[in-house]
Amino acid sequence: MSVKINLHKTHRQYTNGQETVEVNGNNVGECLKELVKQYPDLKNELFDKKGKLLSVLEVYLNGASAYPDELAREVKDGDEIHLLVMLAGG
Amino acid sequence: MLTDNERKRYDRQIMMKDIGEKGQEKLKNAHVFIAGAGGLGSPIAIYLSAAGVGHIRIVDHDTVELSNLNRQILHWDENIDRNKVDSAREKLSELNPSIRVEGICETIGEDNVSQLVDGYDLIVDAMDNLPTRYILNKEAIERNMPFFHGAVSGLEGRAMTVLPGKSACLRCGYKGPVPREKFPVIGVAPAIIGAIQATEVIKYIVGMGDLLTNRLLRYDGMSMRFTEFKVARNPQCDHCANL
Repeated sequence: MSVKINLHKTHRQYTNGQETVEVNGNNVGECLKELVKQYPDLKNELFDKKGKLLSVLEVYLNGASAYPDELAREVKDGDEIHLLVMLAGG
Repeated sequence: MLTDNERKRYDRQIMMKDIGEKGQEKLKNAHVFIAGAGGLGSPIAIYLSAAGVGHIRIVDHDTVELSNLNRQILHWDENIDRNKVDSAREKLSELNPSIRVEGICETIGEDNVSQLVDGYDLIVDAMDNLPTRYILNKEAIERNMPFFHGAVSGLEGRAMTVLPGKSACLRCGYKGPVPREKFPVIGVAPAIIGAIQATEVIKYIVGMGDLLTNRLLRYDGMSMRFTEFKVARNPQCDHCANL
């Protein structure tokens, strides 16, 4: 399944400035794995040492929150993933 | 009842059919709690005061610092080292002497949040950290009070309105603690998000329009795009699942 991942701007420094990356996978987890395969420096920005998504990350699939069990969510051709980072400032 | 002075002051918004004199009276009678007198708290408090929200309590423990002045527009150079709530109260009272503004210089925590928000209709989130936001979110849920969330970083921001038991709360997507960090920001970002939060508060009080519930509105000033994401209540949420 071909899926477009929209990256948060804090992550684009690891993708040569690319805002979106096309990946293949059957679920969100596989898509993010392929993203990391293409851009290995992203690994520590997305996952902790145990492979769990970082607490500050939010995953949206086709405009809707993928929480909980984001990584297990199935995807289909043409789907879009948005990776957002929680904001704390005021 | 509105006074003649108030009818003149709010003439342009009373002209709006959805507000009218009845809506203006609702604003006059409203009690709004603003958590934070900084980057978000400034535009929120200014626009709610200008709109005639009759009772505003603003809470912040900080004093004004030089580095606040790029974004915290309620505070000016001459206010450096003063309590933010005193600086805020003075400006807001001068902006609109017909409303009552109360400033409390305290740190919002689990021990005092209930006492601080008691007697108020709703909570507006203008905090600078997530742990206190969760304390306010929980208190709002327990009291069945609306909670108007906003947050910023850099040229980015987000807003969401929480109606306890009816829409997703701030905690519904909780994945674990997030470290406190000094965040970069330029004043136009909280100006936009604060104005959105104030809009939501006014709509809620008057009872008009569609609220930003079950929708996270994200603003990206760099690309100048607003994007909306659907969010849903979490049946396992440790704040609102039992409602």
